Parts: sequence; C-alpha cells; structure tokens
Amino acid sequence: MTETRKPVGMELHHAIVSHYSAEVRMLQNQQYRKWFDTVIAEDIHYWMPVYEQRFSRDRRPDPTPGDAAIYNDDYAELQQRVDRLLTGQVWMEDPPSRIRYFVTNVEAFEIAPDEFEVFSNVLVHRNRRQSEVYVHTLGREDKLRKTDSGFKVFSRKLNIDARVVQDKNLYFFV
Amino acid sequence: MNGSSTLVDNAGASQSRRVFWDQDVYQLELERIFSRCWLMLGHDSLVPKPGDFITTYMAEDRVILSRQSDGSLKAFINSCTHRGNQICHADSGSAKAFVCNYHGWVFGQDGSLVDVPMEERCYHSDLDKSKLGLAPIRVETYKGFIFGCHDPEAPSLEDYLGDFCWYLDTIWGGPEGGMELLGPPLKSTLACNWKVPTENFVGDGYHVGWTHAAALQMIGGELAGLSGNRADMPFDDLGLQFTMRHGHGFGVIDNAATAIHVKRDGYVNYLEETRGEIREKFGPERERLYVGHWNASIFPNCSFLYGTNTFKIWHPRGPHEIEVWTYTMVPKNADTETKRSIQREAIRSFGTAGTLESDDGENMSSATYSNNGIITRKGRMNSSMGKDREGPHPVYPGIVGVSFIGETSYRGFYRFWQEMLDAPDWAAIRANDDTWDAMWTNRNFWPDRLSAKQAEPQD
Repeated sequence: MTETRKPVGMELHHAIVSHYSAEVRMLQNQQYRKWFDTVIAEDIHYWMPVYEQRFSRDRRPDPTPGDAAIYNDDYAELQQRVDRLLTGQVWMEDPPSRIRYFVTNVEAFEIAPDEFEVFSNVLVHRNRRQSEVYVHTLGREDKLRKTDSGFKVFSRKLNIDARVVQDKNLYFFV
Repeated sequence: MNGSSTLVDNAGASQSRRVFWDQDVYQLELERIFSRCWLMLGHDSLVPKPGDFITTYMAEDRVILSRQSDGSLKAFINSCTHRGNQICHADSGSAKAFVCNYHGWVFGQDGSLVDVPMEERCYHSDLDKSKLGLAPIRVETYKGFIFGCHDPEAPSLEDYLGDFCWYLDTIWGGPEGGMELLGPPLKSTLACNWKVPTENFVGDGYHVGWTHAAALQMIGGELAGLSGNRADMPFDDLGLQFTMRHGHGFGVIDNAATAIHVKRDGYVNYLEETRGEIREKFGPERERLYVGHWNASIFPNCSFLYGTNTFKIWHPRGPHEIEVWTYTMVPKNADTETKRSIQREAIRSFGTAGTLESDDGENMSSATYSNNGIITRKGRMNSSMGKDREGPHPVYPGIVGVSFIGETSYRGFYRFWQEMLDAPDWAAIRANDDTWDAMWTNRNFWPDRLSAKQAEPQD
C-alpha cells in the first residue's frame, strides 16, 4: 500500500509512542484493570480475525467482524476478560507468566480531529511455568482518540503472523 | 507392542500413564485406531459447490476433501504419487485440478492423474497414469457431517456411529435442516496427548466447576453455581452420561444448552421454537437432551459441546502434541444473525483465546508432560467415579450413568480404545458386538432406580 497521507508531526508521534510504552508497562505488570480503564474507549472493537491460507487467485473477500475471529470483543466483553483474570481463580496464571512487549514501526495519521489511525508491529514474548517460551509477532491497526485523559483506543485490529497459533492460548492483551 | 491389556484396567477403572506418553503406544494407535476408524473430515457446508475443496488431516496424513461435479464427495491423500510432494497448500478454495509444485503433475478433482508435463518426450508412452492417482479414502456422511476411513473392512459410518446415531439424530437431524459447521477453523498447537482433550470432552463434568471457576463466575447464568464447587447441588437429578459400543460418549446437563453463552436471545428463541418439533419426532426423552448442554466425543479424536456449539478436531502430532482445530456448529435453518451470534459466543468461550478453553489447555499439557518421569509413568490414572451407578437403560441406548458428573464415558472410551489396539482386524471387533458391555455388571441399576422413583409418593 502506497501511503499518500502525511504522518502526524514529531510531537504527536512522540506522544503516541510514549502512550504505547506506558500501555505495555501496565500489561507487563499485570495491571489489567488500570490498563482497561486508562486506554480502552467505550466504543472499542477489539478484533483478531482468522485469515485462511488461500491461493492468490482466490477472489473470496477478507474476513469481516461477522466471521470467525479469535477476538471479536466489545467494551463489556473485553471487560469480562479482565474481570476473569482478577477473580483470583485463574489457576493457569498462578504463579503468573512473564510477558514482554516490543512495539515498533509506529506510523500515525490523523483521520478526524483528535482521531488517529496508527499502525505498529508488536512482538510478544511469554515465559510460563519453568521453561515454556512463546513468541508472537502481530501487525496492529489502531484507531486512537485523543481525550482529556489521554489517548483511548476505539478500534484495534490484530493480525497475528500465524495460521496455526504456536501457543496453548492467546489469552493475553496486545 | 505387546501387553496393551495392561494399559487399561476396565474392572479397576484405571489406565497406565504410558497411554499419554509412550512412542510405541502412539505408533500402535496410528496403525490400529487412526488407520481403521472413521475420522471427522468436515461438513457439507464447508464444500457446498462442485470444485470446492478443503485440506485437512487424518492423524498425521494430509488429505484433500473435494466436491465432485456430480455433487458427490471424494477424499484422497495430499501427496504426489511421483516424488511425494504435498500437492495442495491452501486451506480451502475451488479448483478444477490440483497441480504439484515440484514437477507439475496435474490431478483432477477426483484425485486421478490427468496430465504429466512433456509426457511423450519424457516417458515415451511408458507411464500408466491410471495407476498413479492420489490414494483414495472412503468417504461417507451422516446428516451432512463428512467422515473418512482408510480401512475397507470397517463398518459403514452409520454402523460405526452405531447407538450414538439415536442421540445425534436429536441435534443433527432434529429440527428441519439439522446442523452445519461454520469455518474457517481456528488452529493452534497444544503440547498434550490427543486423548487428554478427547477424554475431557467425552465425560468430564467434574472439572467444570473447578478448572473454570473464574470464567463461570464472570459469565453467571445457570452454571454459575458450579463455580468453585460452592453450590450444594443434587448432581444425580441434573443430567446423565452415556457411552456407546464404539467408544463414543457424552454427558448432558439438563436445561443448560445455552448456559455458556452471554448474548443468546436468538439461540434461546430458536430452541424454544423447535423443541416441540423434537418432542413430536423423538419423544420427551430426547426433547430433554435437545435443551440440555452436551460434552461429547466421537471416537477417536473429534469432540463437540452441543449448546455451546464449539466443534473440535484434535489432530495428533506425535504422542505429546496436537493441532487443535475449532469450528462452530450451528442450526442450519437459524437466521444469519443467530448463527453469527452463536459462532461469536462459541469462540469467545472455546476458541484460541477462549475464556474457558485457556483453562483447559493448561491442564491438558500438564497432564501429559508430568509423565515424562520414569517413576511417574509407572503409576496409573483413576477413572472410577460413579462406577456402580450406571448400566443399560430401558429407553436410552448404550450404557447410561446416573450423573453428568461421573466417569462412565471415560470407562467406555478406554474400553474401546483397548479393544481397537488388541484387535488384529475389524472382524475381531465385530465378534465382540454382543458382549462389549459385559464389564458393566450392575445390570439392574436403572430398572431398580426407575421403579423406586415410581413408587415414591407424589406431591
């Protein structure tokens, strides 16, 4: 895709990158409630579609939110996932796993006053139990809204770079 | 491998831990179970039109399932008969032919070899193409669900499903149109033996309250009382458990079909609107099942939750790993919005990031890998719950356990598993058709229980 739009200026770009750094620090520290309250907008669509392996000549359309998706959550549904982690009864996260995020290739464009489309690459490293290691890379397409209390994401599309997910679950936030 | 009879102790209701770990056990499973049983390939809905295909697996064998121009189905091994290359690398699509990437051999929709590049100049009329088609697989369907089998001596699919058809008819043949599968499948790897999830789905109502305590608490609804095993519930009156001749089995929780779904209005209405039709067609015993929640496995490696409607194939990848494929099962004649809502809820709970599935994967991996210790592996696993509270039932086929929290269908699954490993061929299995359920010795359990119930004073 040739980008004809002009990216945001240096100051805004820096603010968005800093926002992402603060966001992943909350997730790395298991501050899920704070993460949810701080960065998620009430009109969020949190979406990880399933892309089949198809021949290039295949003319079927790309997946829509009406199709099978690993995540397809609205605000209440995402909140329920956070609440579950905080019940104290998620045995698989006790002892907790270690997770580290690397967010790169950030490109931001203004799409409306105080609204931005932001592309980034995310690398997630999970270490669980004694020696389980899982590494995922994802392409992330965000729509952010600048509010009085900072940036809020109201659309997040996650393209995981795997047809067969190489992990026992993807129950973590990106 | 010898001594498979020590792997399963039917009378003692235990299994050797080797069944989850040993390479030679796995090798025997590939030869005697996966090469001889009917394995789930898909559903008519995934290949609706002539030319449509999907690629899948039968155990570790790659397979193409293809809809023919006359509407019939064919399946064949996805590997070139020239030098073995995998032929089709797409998950699904529509194709007039399958062309091998290596030398360009062309196979038709039916798997026959139709063209070889430069055939005259290279082979000089010496190549008998009629003998070089892709290896064919038996394909049969039941109510639209498509199965494949490698063994010409195996019974028909309907006979293989056997007594389970009586139950499957309730949901797959119940309301007009039955059920179909929505894809594409979610796929993920899980480091566990293939039997751990299969046995979990075939008959584990016990883990629900504890393993899924957090999720049930969040979802609320009918099953919230199970969360953390806190509620004092009379399990004997809340459901049943079943096992069949060929190891298929399921448990049902009464009136809980949609319990795991949060947004469920469309599906609840659909079930209410159609239950009368089920009662009329099949009677009250199966109407009870129709509005219940099922955890089920079709022997050997296909599982589903009716009501929640997640639909799984556990493709084995050696003894310690599987590839999990997750479809959603929906009523074919429900409206599009209801189907989409069922799919969304089913994946939310039992997809790759599922609120319940995530809990299970952790256990399945752990229950496999603890057996890498040689001393640990010499031990056994117990599946004795409800052992004397089950037997033949005057209405329900197979062997029926008194509670959905019990291990009746575990015992039935491993009984058949061992029978398959021991039997040299299907003739030897057929020879046991009249005596397969002899291990269930409490033959009067249900007659006694039902007449005692009848004798109770009515309020």
